[in-house]
Amino acid sequence: MIRFILVQNRQGKTRLEKWYSQYSNQERHKLKAEVHRTVASRDQKHQSNFVEFHNHRIVYRRYAGLFFCFCIDTNDNELAYLEGIHLFVEVLDSYHGNVCELDLVFNFYLVYAVLDEMILAGEIQETSRSVILGRLDQLSSLE
Amino acid sequence: MAPMKGLTVFIADLRKCRSHEDEEKRVNKELANIRTKFKEPSLNGYNRKKYVCKLVYMALLGYEVSFGHREAVDLVNSTKYSEKQIGYLAISLLMEEDADYGRMVVAAMRRDIHDTNEFNVSLALNAVSNICTREIAEVLTQDIVAQLLSPVASMFIKKKAALCLLRLLRRFPEAVNAQQWAARVIPYLGHRDIGVTLSVASLVTALAQQFPEDTRKAASFAVRRLKSLVIDNEYAAEYIYYKVPAPWLQIKLLRLLQYFPAPESPELRSLLLSILRHIIDVSQDTPRELQQMNAQYSILFEAINLGIQLDIDQGLMQECAVLLGRFITSREINVRYLGLETMAHLAAYIDSLDTIKTYQGVIIQSLRDRDVSVRRRALDLLYSMCDVSSAKTIVSELLRHMVVADFTLREEMALKVAILTEKYATEYSWYVDVMMRLVSLAGDHMGDEVWHRIVQVILGNEELQLYACKIALQTLKAPVCHESALKVSAYVLGEFGHLIANAPDCAPVDQLKALQSKMASGSQSARAVALTTVGKFINLFPEIKTLCLRVLDRYRGALDAELQQRACEYYALATLESEDLMPTVFEEMPPFPERRSALMSRLLKREADTEDQRTWVFGGREINRERKLQKAGKTVEDSEEPPVAAVPQLLEVPEQTRFVADGGQTPEELARVAKSKRHYARLLWENDGILYDGDEIQVGLVAQYKPPAGRVGVFLGNKSTAPIYDISIHVACEESSEKQLVVQQATGQGPLPDSLMPLGQARVFFDVKCIDVFATAPTLRIAYTMAGAPTVSELQMPVTIAHFIDPVTITVADFFSRWKQLGDAAIGEAQNVLKTPFLSTDSGAIQWLRNVVGGAGFALIQGADAEPDNIVGVGIATTENAGRFGCLIRVEPKPAHGLTRVTIRATNPTVAKVVAANINMVFESK
Repeated sequence: MIRFILVQNRQGKTRLEKWYSQYSNQERHKLKAEVHRTVASRDQKHQSNFVEFHNHRIVYRRYAGLFFCFCIDTNDNELAYLEGIHLFVEVLDSYHGNVCELDLVFNFYLVYAVLDEMILAGEIQETSRSVILGRLDQLSSLE
Repeated sequence: MAPMKGLTVFIADLRKCRSHEDEEKRVNKELANIRTKFKEPSLNGYNRKKYVCKLVYMALLGYEVSFGHREAVDLVNSTKYSEKQIGYLAISLLMEEDADYGRMVVAAMRRDIHDTNEFNVSLALNAVSNICTREIAEVLTQDIVAQLLSPVASMFIKKKAALCLLRLLRRFPEAVNAQQWAARVIPYLGHRDIGVTLSVASLVTALAQQFPEDTRKAASFAVRRLKSLVIDNEYAAEYIYYKVPAPWLQIKLLRLLQYFPAPESPELRSLLLSILRHIIDVSQDTPRELQQMNAQYSILFEAINLGIQLDIDQGLMQECAVLLGRFITSREINVRYLGLETMAHLAAYIDSLDTIKTYQGVIIQSLRDRDVSVRRRALDLLYSMCDVSSAKTIVSELLRHMVVADFTLREEMALKVAILTEKYATEYSWYVDVMMRLVSLAGDHMGDEVWHRIVQVILGNEELQLYACKIALQTLKAPVCHESALKVSAYVLGEFGHLIANAPDCAPVDQLKALQSKMASGSQSARAVALTTVGKFINLFPEIKTLCLRVLDRYRGALDAELQQRACEYYALATLESEDLMPTVFEEMPPFPERRSALMSRLLKREADTEDQRTWVFGGREINRERKLQKAGKTVEDSEEPPVAAVPQLLEVPEQTRFVADGGQTPEELARVAKSKRHYARLLWENDGILYDGDEIQVGLVAQYKPPAGRVGVFLGNKSTAPIYDISIHVACEESSEKQLVVQQATGQGPLPDSLMPLGQARVFFDVKCIDVFATAPTLRIAYTMAGAPTVSELQMPVTIAHFIDPVTITVADFFSRWKQLGDAAIGEAQNVLKTPFLSTDSGAIQWLRNVVGGAGFALIQGADAEPDNIVGVGIATTENAGRFGCLIRVEPKPAHGLTRVTIRATNPTVAKVVAANINMVFESK
């Protein structure tokens, strides 16, 4: 299961955080800094998209200046979550129309809504791009 | 939802701030503003939403937001979707679990879940999965189950309901009553909507681990669903991801099947094999596009994992080995990484390692990969594939690599080298050489377990000792000697230095000099070990006593208290007039009892932290096979012969406590049984009390334990109005426990009186001794004649292995590390959820629980559990011949449900079972 999701920029500013396990505020703070240190220092070209993190694993992918990181269990299927990240980014991209970092900042509340239609309780809920986008369109038309 | 202009302006303002102080100022200004706005009675919904949204933003930036919860709840209660949405978002991000408005939130959720507007239901379910408190689990589970099973709920609601249940089940397994609805969820694995199936598959995977019996049908559903996806190509077009049909669902189903044994029906079996074969065939050519390749490989790796787990076709496995061999040389780093990981899984199960061994060179090469993640997987694989024939090569490669390995990897590497060397050593010299090199190379990066283990092994193997001494002395004489190497060498020479004392250059004085030369530079703990060795030398080699005393003397003034104490004590011991004490104190250490190596527990501890259980572990072949056997064995035992297991027998004990002469189950008889059960239960946690109270006689017990021994006094009172004659009192052990428990009449007491007058009392003492762990309590047989009629009564005697438990006090941190260790090691665990209705009615109930746990021989660890009412305790059972067994207990009372969960973890399964059964009985008869 996904323990948490972090989207951070290269400077380590967290643009999206979603916690599916219980962590105190203090732990969250520490984890954010640690994830940034672990992921940002890795070579994008010659290193894999997976890295050991405490007793879990981080699966991450960089899109422009943003690192999308999923922290998962060691027995989870890494590639499935790596493509989960890609699907998430594709959905964000279509939803916002060529998404950029600022969209995540100014529309943070919408990003949470998008996430809730795709991933719930740390598990992937829906994997069809068109189903997700259709639902999101429906929701944004509500008052 | 229309954008909120005020919010956008505010965020832009904050982004413009140059310094943190500026930002803080702006935030404080806004907080003050919002506070005033919230006081206005005319605040409309839009503004409320906007301000709450600003608060959420500030909280996400890390500022403390201590108000606005009421407004968030107001928003949740709004009829407008966008307001409700922000309300739930704010609550899921801002609410503390124990917030006082939690009840209002739950009420709102409940209303929304029952709403006819499906968008509101969706929002409420999202919130349930995000917030997930105990109260939600208790109040809403049934409603959510109803939504999942409802024929009218939309696909979106079903998906969300399934995952909400999963979250609640994982977090509060005891509050969701999953067994009640588990079986009804399974047919949804065949639902035509892929999203619903995917979510339900996640839920069923968790259920399958908890209720394998109730979810057995899930396997055939999963196989058929896979067939329709993989072979029949039946799926909706929108679920194709880069030409791959529903990869996530395929993976989920392949994973789910790994929690079940291979299907028994030949039809399903061959179907499953053809699915696996199909997946492997499709993956023969590598697609160009990255996404397609990843999706395809993610399925393939999961299919291989399933193939390994099913273990039904060795041909297929060999083919997988070849395929994986291709992957580990792939140019794609991710594929290399996963290839190595999956091959480690394969190596843990496959019958013949030959195919894998052909890649040994490549794998060793991967230890030098540019990516530390890949290097780690290579290490795991080398460890998994190691056997007697390849051990030397692999160990020497690992040692060679140790010097250049990352610091983060060295500890694990050291552990693995130590385990492999011990396991596959065929020559003693090899073991000693490797271990000495290991501690010299990696001493800084490993825990004390490694050097402790080396000493244990050397102590336990006589053949090793001479060689070990030689190497130890050599190590000490070398120009540099690592701290851990110093400890091992010092310990070994202290024990066995005399074995080499006659060899050239190994005379006692040489040994002492070598030790002394390295002592000065050693750390405090190493010097402490060395000092003890000096003490042992005095005993071993009286000829160098003066030299040794000089060394000790120098440390008598050491600043470090530990060193000073050792030096002073050994010095005093050696200069005592009587020379008898010295040889006793420094007698050769006995070999350590055989037990599981601490190294393995440490290794396994790392990976236990997963939500779904691992289907295999990086522990090597034996341990995985063991796990598999255990799993298989467990189901056999459960299904075929439950009545003969040790626990139920113990539970039924009180029913056997009856007069042999008595027959039927009259009401009086039943009452008496219940009463005697109560008596028995009480003696499980109190030393003195009544064991039997009948019409004619009364039997009392007084016990005193000093594990492994104890003394039990039996008092027989005549309650009737006539005298009783021909009294005999005996204790008989069950045949199965005869060798484990010895009960003898204590010597030096007078014989029983010939007769016992009314109100008279006779007593007899028994010495009990626990030789080994035993499962069944002994029987107390009391025979007498009254009014010419001989009567025999047999009573179960409250003497169980649990009575040989002594309290041990340890720190909170120690408790949890041991608790976890024992849990991981899975040697002996027993868990029961017991009905304890008295919790809510009796205010002293918690104290009573404490008394019971304390009375049962456990030291209560205060403040260990976050929940103040929970009780944790530590005890140790002592047997004469089998050693000591640690036992941890955790009692979690839930007054609201009238239930209490009791978990016992012990280093011996029988101990855990017996303690659990005892506690069970005590609670039942409260």
